[in-house]
Amino acid sequence: MPRSVWKGPFVDGYLLKKAEASRQSGRKEVIKTWSRRSTILPQFVGLTFGVYNGRKFIPVMVAEAMVGHKLGEFSPTRIFVGHSAAEKKTTRAPGAAPASGG
Amino acid sequence: MANRARASRVCLGVIATAHGLKGEVKIRCFASDPTALTAYGPLTDETGTVNYTVVRYRENKGIVVAALEGVRDRNAAEALRGVQLFLDRSRLPATAPDEFYQADLEGLPVRHVDGRALGTVIAFHNYGAGDLVEVEREDGGRFMVPFTADFVPSVSLADGLRIKADDEWIYSDRRSRERS
Repeated sequence: MPRSVWKGPFVDGYLLKKAEASRQSGRKEVIKTWSRRSTILPQFVGLTFGVYNGRKFIPVMVAEAMVGHKLGEFSPTRIFVGHSAAEKKTTRAPGAAPASGG
Repeated sequence: MANRARASRVCLGVIATAHGLKGEVKIRCFASDPTALTAYGPLTDETGTVNYTVVRYRENKGIVVAALEGVRDRNAAEALRGVQLFLDRSRLPATAPDEFYQADLEGLPVRHVDGRALGTVIAFHNYGAGDLVEVEREDGGRFMVPFTADFVPSVSLADGLRIKADDEWIYSDRRSRERS
């Protein structure tokens, strides 16, 4: 079920303050945030957020088409490396000799 | 560094798996437009010795399904799994101003706008919010910045990239490692 319209979009309050401060300073800086759940508002367009994905911060430069989405959508937490048969290798670890049966 | 050594050739895609019984293969295409698979002549493997010509292709749910010349059945197609398809860099068209082939930029040195050496370009990513350039610092840490004029004011194939970012951002991974 979608979020009720009367509530308006959810944004963490501290993120709004950080974004406003960055906009007023006019500096091009990355605003670090852990708030993946915050909705991208129209006033965020042009700002760059560093959105935490559990391991590192991924830069997200906000464009008009991203308004209404959540910040976390642009900072993937899982990266599919792929299965490539040619690259698969196996290494025998040095150590004790295998136990002989019987 | 391997990327720099192979910079004379560009990887256009990799054969993922066989498709159907008639020798078609699925190709994970790295080009922005799959027409590049046929537009510039035959492709080669990683060694540059074996040629592959894409006879026809179609797109199926974001993956390119292609027929290669000389590959007529599924067994032959399955033998090609994992083969990377390369193209001579010289056969690609010239780029517009402020447009670069990623393969040309990978491996270039990165400096801060104040002149400090920061590291080397290792990869480009796009998670839906524009291209990101990933830089590996000399201490092994990594960071990413958007590939925009604000953050990368100067790009030169001879001198490398100049990056404009705060130290807090450049060394942010170091801080999180120290905290944990």
